[in-house]
Amino acid sequence: MRQLGSWVARVGVGFVRSCVVGSLSMLVPLVWAGAVALGIRWGAANPWSWLAPLVLVCTGTLALCRTVCRAVRFLVGKWTDTAVPAGYRQAPAVSQLSTGHWWNGFSYERTRRDALRDQKWRLWWYDPATWRDLRFTALLPFTAGALACFPPAAVAAGLLTLARPEPAARLVGILALAAALATAPYAWRAVRPVAVRFLRPSPAMVLADRVEELTAQRADVTVAQAAEIRRIERDLHDGAQARLVGLGLSLATAERLMETDPGRARALMRDARAGAATSLSELRELVRGINPPVLSDRGLVDAVRALALDSPLETTVSAGAEVRLEVPVESALYFAVAELLTNAAKHAHATRAAVSLVWGGTGVVVAVEDDGRGGAAERDGGGLAGLRRRLSVFDGTLEITSPVGGPTRVRMMVPCE
Amino acid sequence: MRIVVAEDLYLLRDGMVRLLEAYGHQVVATSTTGPETLDALRRWRPDVAVVDVRMPPTQTDEGLRAALAARGELPGLPVLILSQYVEQLYARELLADGAGGIGYFLKESVFDADQFIDALERVAAGGTAMDPAVIAKLLGSGTSHRRLGQLTEREHSVLALMAEGLSNQAIGRKLFLSESAISKYTTSMFGKLGITDDDHSNRRVLAVLTYLNTP
Repeated sequence: MRQLGSWVARVGVGFVRSCVVGSLSMLVPLVWAGAVALGIRWGAANPWSWLAPLVLVCTGTLALCRTVCRAVRFLVGKWTDTAVPAGYRQAPAVSQLSTGHWWNGFSYERTRRDALRDQKWRLWWYDPATWRDLRFTALLPFTAGALACFPPAAVAAGLLTLARPEPAARLVGILALAAALATAPYAWRAVRPVAVRFLRPSPAMVLADRVEELTAQRADVTVAQAAEIRRIERDLHDGAQARLVGLGLSLATAERLMETDPGRARALMRDARAGAATSLSELRELVRGINPPVLSDRGLVDAVRALALDSPLETTVSAGAEVRLEVPVESALYFAVAELLTNAAKHAHATRAAVSLVWGGTGVVVAVEDDGRGGAAERDGGGLAGLRRRLSVFDGTLEITSPVGGPTRVRMMVPCE
Repeated sequence: MRIVVAEDLYLLRDGMVRLLEAYGHQVVATSTTGPETLDALRRWRPDVAVVDVRMPPTQTDEGLRAALAARGELPGLPVLILSQYVEQLYARELLADGAGGIGYFLKESVFDADQFIDALERVAAGGTAMDPAVIAKLLGSGTSHRRLGQLTEREHSVLALMAEGLSNQAIGRKLFLSESAISKYTTSMFGKLGITDDDHSNRRVLAVLTYLNTP
């Protein structure tokens, strides 16, 4: 009984889905058929009669194709849990220039409305996704569409033949209905492979997206680099340089006082020595922030061990066989671990942390775990977002799981060949 | 004392040699690279060696490696490491063999020549001397934090000075306390930390440091 119930449900759902896919895929062919019918009706008399149907076919197809594709993508996602990436080009921001004109990424316009309208058209026209959508709408009726149309068509045919009195016709009608019911749960399913194959972004589009991503990253890196250099310059200027000037002054004064007031001269020289020691320790901190000496001496594992020793947390480090990476990658991972340990101590109030480094065939995986109170979230402009950005330069990824109450686990992966 | 100086920067090497000679010590050899240092230590077996961490040819921790290798062959060879920066990791490696005769200092510690020579002599005698910066790092790290939680503030400061390599007498002078008071503190401190106490200052320091270092 229950089996029968579930079969009826499957047939019912399948039939409805087949109807939806069938009608969706036949939308554009319907426009074509209408155009052809129009042409035939006007046909004989007018030598220009092909023009109007042609315009109808073009505008109808272009107007409908994106809607149809969006609907198919949505349905495939909903029914089969298969995400088909759309890959439509994103609209750049429309901004007003000092001249009062509006720039939309393609052209200058007098008003914002014009700029937006122009942008919409250009985006649509120059987007390679549009041509992919067109191809898909043309292909759909002859593949998945045709299959999905079978159950509703068989039901219609069956009902029509059943209405006729001859017994042979009745038999055919019953057969047709049975075929419709049997195929209903499966007929719509062809839409998934077709959508996956023809509706995803083409390699060229994927490449274009990648170029855009890389351009954005490059801009980020350039800005970050400039900021870093400014920071170093400021630190040197306010710290070591200023101290060295003071040192020179003290020594000059001491030199002058040497004969007249040896006591004061000696005090000044003691000050000078203290100043030199302070500026050395400042320089040391600065160098540690730019390029930690242990990292260049010993590589990532020992550098992380040194970090663990210096951390106020009880930190254990486990590492697989180390493979030396490019210096910038090692440096990024080192500072990432340093930041995560600092976060664990400062924000999560953890007492223990564990760092593991594993080199695999595809890349290096660094995991940091603490026993803190969790609840770490990535905010725009926050530390974790910055970390993700710095790793993304090397195509690295960052996964954070941090339920409220802890523990926090962060996993970083950087691919290397 | 017969001393080997391993330092790749000419000005520092020259200054160091002059400083040591001004205090009446004899510099038997100088070296400027890692392999050279190892050779010199093997050949001269100095009373103490002053070694820089970062040296050619790789400009990484060549000096440290040479010192460790030499101590592997000549156990207890006194070495004082001078560096622009101090790392707990390196301090651990130096202390790991437990043979004593180890010093680890920041380069600027030579500014105070008297103290520096004093530390050098302690190391040559088989003692241990650590830069206060190393001690601060050791005492501030996560592992030791838990272990040192039970010490009083006074015991804590006695421990820090002891780790620098000072004797009870010297610690007493620094803290304006009598030597017997210091020895009372050390006894209670060692009791809390579970280290057997004896009067030999070097073994004392090593015990403390190894204890703090073992994770």
